[in-house]
Amino acid sequence: MGVIAAARPGSPVTKSKGLAKGREAITGYLFILVPMVLFLVLNIGSIFYSLYISVWHWNIRSGPETLLGTKNYLTALGDPIFQQAVTNTLYYTAVWVPLAMALGLFLAVLVNQKIRGQTFFRAAFYFPAIASSAAITVLWIFLLEPDGLFNAARAALGINPIFALFGYTDSQNWLGNSSTAMNSIIILNAWTTSGTFMLFYLASLQAISQDVYEAAAIDGASGVQAFWSITFPLLKPAHYFVGTVAVIGGLQLFDQAYLAGSVDGSPDNALMTMVLYLYRSAFGGSFDFGYAAAVGIILFVMIFSATLVQRRLFGAAPSW
Amino acid sequence: MIKAVESIEPRPAPVVAPVGDRNAHWRRRVAVFLMVAYGLLMFVPFAWSVVTSFKTLPDSVQMTFLPNPFTTQGWEFAFTKLQPPIPMLMLNSAAIAGAATVTNLVLGSLAGYAFARLRFPGREALFLIVLATLMIPDQLRLVPVYLMLNAAGLTHGFAQYIGLVTVLAISGTSIFFMRQYFLTIPKDLEEAARIDGAGFFTTFWRVMLPLAGPALATVAVLQFQGTWNGFFWPLILLQDSNHFTLPLGLAAFRLAGGFTTNWPPQMATIVMATLPILVLYLFFQRYFVPSVAKTGLTG
Repeated sequence: MGVIAAARPGSPVTKSKGLAKGREAITGYLFILVPMVLFLVLNIGSIFYSLYISVWHWNIRSGPETLLGTKNYLTALGDPIFQQAVTNTLYYTAVWVPLAMALGLFLAVLVNQKIRGQTFFRAAFYFPAIASSAAITVLWIFLLEPDGLFNAARAALGINPIFALFGYTDSQNWLGNSSTAMNSIIILNAWTTSGTFMLFYLASLQAISQDVYEAAAIDGASGVQAFWSITFPLLKPAHYFVGTVAVIGGLQLFDQAYLAGSVDGSPDNALMTMVLYLYRSAFGGSFDFGYAAAVGIILFVMIFSATLVQRRLFGAAPSW
Repeated sequence: MIKAVESIEPRPAPVVAPVGDRNAHWRRRVAVFLMVAYGLLMFVPFAWSVVTSFKTLPDSVQMTFLPNPFTTQGWEFAFTKLQPPIPMLMLNSAAIAGAATVTNLVLGSLAGYAFARLRFPGREALFLIVLATLMIPDQLRLVPVYLMLNAAGLTHGFAQYIGLVTVLAISGTSIFFMRQYFLTIPKDLEEAARIDGAGFFTTFWRVMLPLAGPALATVAVLQFQGTWNGFFWPLILLQDSNHFTLPLGLAAFRLAGGFTTNWPPQMATIVMATLPILVLYLFFQRYFVPSVAKTGLTG
């Protein structure tokens, strides 16, 4: 078509080409119209609306009442419970990220062995990652009850003396005790997300050429040596990628904390996370939306800075 | 089950280093042992939920594996007395997940095609906006989105569904994924259709869409699974318990239960929340690969 038009400049074909170009543009805009309107209002618009709401005392029923300026921000930053929420979230992220990554890598190495039925294990290990977070969390709560399966199992296995060394009683209330509640959530989420990290690592493992292993074997390296001196360093891009994904996810911990600790992050704010604090500010009784909006902005700045720092350090996500 | 999973595994098994590795045999045995052990360990919680759902309440905290006596009381409670009962929770979940899946397929494929193939001024800038939405955490949007929907009257009664589906209607991920797929389709076919005089929509509908089957399936499966399991937006936007989805029903049941939790019906609800995803997973496993676009950009 282009050739014909070029060959006969000024002919009706050129005119119809311009017309087709206009039609193409209009079609393009029509095809993206609905998503772009939704994005501009509910995503981009949300940021600016949030900034506006955050400087008001804004009640859900009456709307904006008093202009507060930066007072909502200062109140949030000075609130001991908010500080507790930040501490808890950072602790969760600092422990959960390496744990889930290590488990994911371990599983990836396992299912990467040439073994009959490995595709079944791959599929099985990934399943907790795609099951409902609410269902798995309530199930976890049930297992960790003082008279639940976990306590019964360790009694049956006779390993309670080991737990006693750490000061845990035979009928430890794991989620009901403020010293063990967050760790219980960390283990739950390490289990469920390790499946996703396993698949990310697996893709990278399979991209490593077998030649390097053959060379190492000829040099007499053992399997463990080969792992630490070849596999682990070669997975560097995967470590960075999985780590970035994990940190961003970790800072947004909400579902499990809310289900196990309700809106207050019980017991004693042990499960209060940054997002739970935000949710509580908006829907926890006071319905102070101006304050909640300010908390949302603070959260966004924190998560976004974490992303930027990681990008600075490790480069952009591979897909871009 | 094993057969079904194995038959759709697309990638051939990698070759283990054949040279000079006398320990390979033992390493494989250790790996099999560890995989079976870990597999059993993670199978136990799910099995325990199924078993417990057939127990009586006093029996539910006993550690006997087989229910004694075996009872379907828990299931009957969950299906009739629970407020709202499981069938209604499932219907709500399925309706919302179905609606969000359809909107993402329709809007995502149209917009993905436009960004991949159609030329119009501002295309790159607009696509940057699509990518930018993936960087904005949902939590930041909680307050403004709720207030906007509230002002539009979409937070009460049946309109709650419309409000929720509006928020979930299209994700940047769906558009991004469809666009990437359309970019891999050769242009010759389209050009042939265009020369035959087909319009842009006809080309999209008759030529491109039928070629995009795998991408559509991936978007559909991931969107349905994500919405079915979704917790954050339903919790914010569904205020009325009759409109709850399964995860919200579980949360309400759990948080209202306090110290006298009625475990058997709660376990029945867990089974019903997990089972549909398990079935979906068994049939469409190959579409469940975690896409970088989905997990990598939104966390």
